[in-house]
Amino acid sequence: MQTAQDRAIATESEPPPDGGRAAALFKFVVTRPSIREAGATVVVVLILLAAMQIASWYVPDYIMPSPEAVSGAIWRLAHTDYFHVLATLGRLAAALSFSLVAGVLLGLVMALSPLLRPFVRSLVVIDTGIPALSWILLAVFWFKNPEKRIFFILVMILIPFYALSIYDGFRALPKDLVDMIESFRPSQWQTLRYLIVPHLVPYVILTTKSVIGYATRMVIFAELVASAIGVGSRMGLAQSTFHMDEVLAWTFFLVVLNIVLQLLVTAIEKAALGWRQEAAVR
Amino acid sequence: MNMLAKSFDAVATAPVISLRGVRKKFGGHLVVDNLSFNVGRGEIVTLLGRTGAGKTTVLNIIMGTMRADAGAVSVAGADPYGEFKSLKGKLAVAFQTDRLLPWRTAVENAELGLLILGIDRKIARAKAIECLASVNLAGSEHKRPHELSGGMRQRVSLARALAVDPELILLDESFSQLDHVTSRSLRADFCKVARQFGKTCLIVTHRIDDALEMADRVIVLGPGARIMLEMPLAEARLNEQTREQCRAQIETALGGHNEDDNN
Repeated sequence: MQTAQDRAIATESEPPPDGGRAAALFKFVVTRPSIREAGATVVVVLILLAAMQIASWYVPDYIMPSPEAVSGAIWRLAHTDYFHVLATLGRLAAALSFSLVAGVLLGLVMALSPLLRPFVRSLVVIDTGIPALSWILLAVFWFKNPEKRIFFILVMILIPFYALSIYDGFRALPKDLVDMIESFRPSQWQTLRYLIVPHLVPYVILTTKSVIGYATRMVIFAELVASAIGVGSRMGLAQSTFHMDEVLAWTFFLVVLNIVLQLLVTAIEKAALGWRQEAAVR
Repeated sequence: MNMLAKSFDAVATAPVISLRGVRKKFGGHLVVDNLSFNVGRGEIVTLLGRTGAGKTTVLNIIMGTMRADAGAVSVAGADPYGEFKSLKGKLAVAFQTDRLLPWRTAVENAELGLLILGIDRKIARAKAIECLASVNLAGSEHKRPHELSGGMRQRVSLARALAVDPELILLDESFSQLDHVTSRSLRADFCKVARQFGKTCLIVTHRIDDALEMADRVIVLGPGARIMLEMPLAEARLNEQTREQCRAQIETALGGHNEDDNN
């Protein structure tokens, strides 16, 4: 005869035939962080779509279109207006690349030249204090060409992030490593090549990761005010002609664009910083 | 002809390190007080002293990263501070911690000094691999520092110093952070290579065992880097009884039993 204790042991060690697979699947999903996070994202998106659908029953289309109308707009714009996404992406890439190079150079000047440091640092700190809106309004007056306007706005906003990050990275350079490399009597160029630049690479990547979302928002804002081409200007046009489905469709493109850019930077980070030991905290 | 031979002789017998009446003050505190000693070519000398005896200051002066307030310093015939760059390739240092660049593999770290000397990349790589093998690290060339144990990392650091084939190797407490067994094995491996290639070495340490097992000569420093004892140790490395006598003398010079030696 089976005792209560035996039954308890049997229950623990052998999953019941019905629902055993489902339980295993549930356990697998719950214990895998990546699957858990993807699942949570799907749940949130479904809730938002449901909320949109419900809202669209009670308000006019120019306030909240249905998910179906928005997906129709996404399909339509993806076929007819993809040029604007490419234009926005191109502007973002150009401004980000230039800001990276200029910011790194300014950061290195701050780090390596005690004479120029106070001047450059003051300039960068003043720049960080100027609101993005001021640059946008000034650019509209200063430049006729919309490409120059947008480039200027983005560069003025992004450079300080790189410059300050590089300067802080340089200050965090371990003195032990400096003394080690100095013991070989290198030239300044060799110190830069073998020690300083590799040490600063994580700072550049981290800054790019941090500013990419901000830069995407800023390029849209700049396009809205200063150009007739690009996602920002199309969003402005859609809003002024009461095409809320297109506004949401462009928003969808921007979210996807941001995710793709983040994935790209993460891939670059993995390739460039594979040497880093990942810290594990329990 | 005779004069030429004499001048070659003078170069061959001239000390690699020469300190004469060196003084160094920090604030009002005299850290190095009138220190004089020589280290001859091919000699392995230990600078032994308690913490705060001024050993690292002396080492920094010899490395050329610090200027002596008074006295004359000569390393490989040059003033290490005033003629800093002239010692490029003539001097290498192995520090207390490994100081490996974390983004470079073991072999890339070992070849660093050679690349700074402008040696061709392929030749530098071959030399670095050879040096890693000489410190028993064959097979670990492509591992990153975080994949190596503390002892292995310190071996890479020694290989990096040996790779540049310097006239002088300075060791700053290079074995003191390792456990007793690893430290002993590393000391033995280093000495074997250093003696094989006739390297001049100055080893700064606070551990008597480092001196007894490695050095041809020990210089014991007291407060203010004053020399308390200077004696040859070549025999002590071979004879257990002599070693114990030397240990007793060094302990007396240090002013009692050195507790760090039990670590």
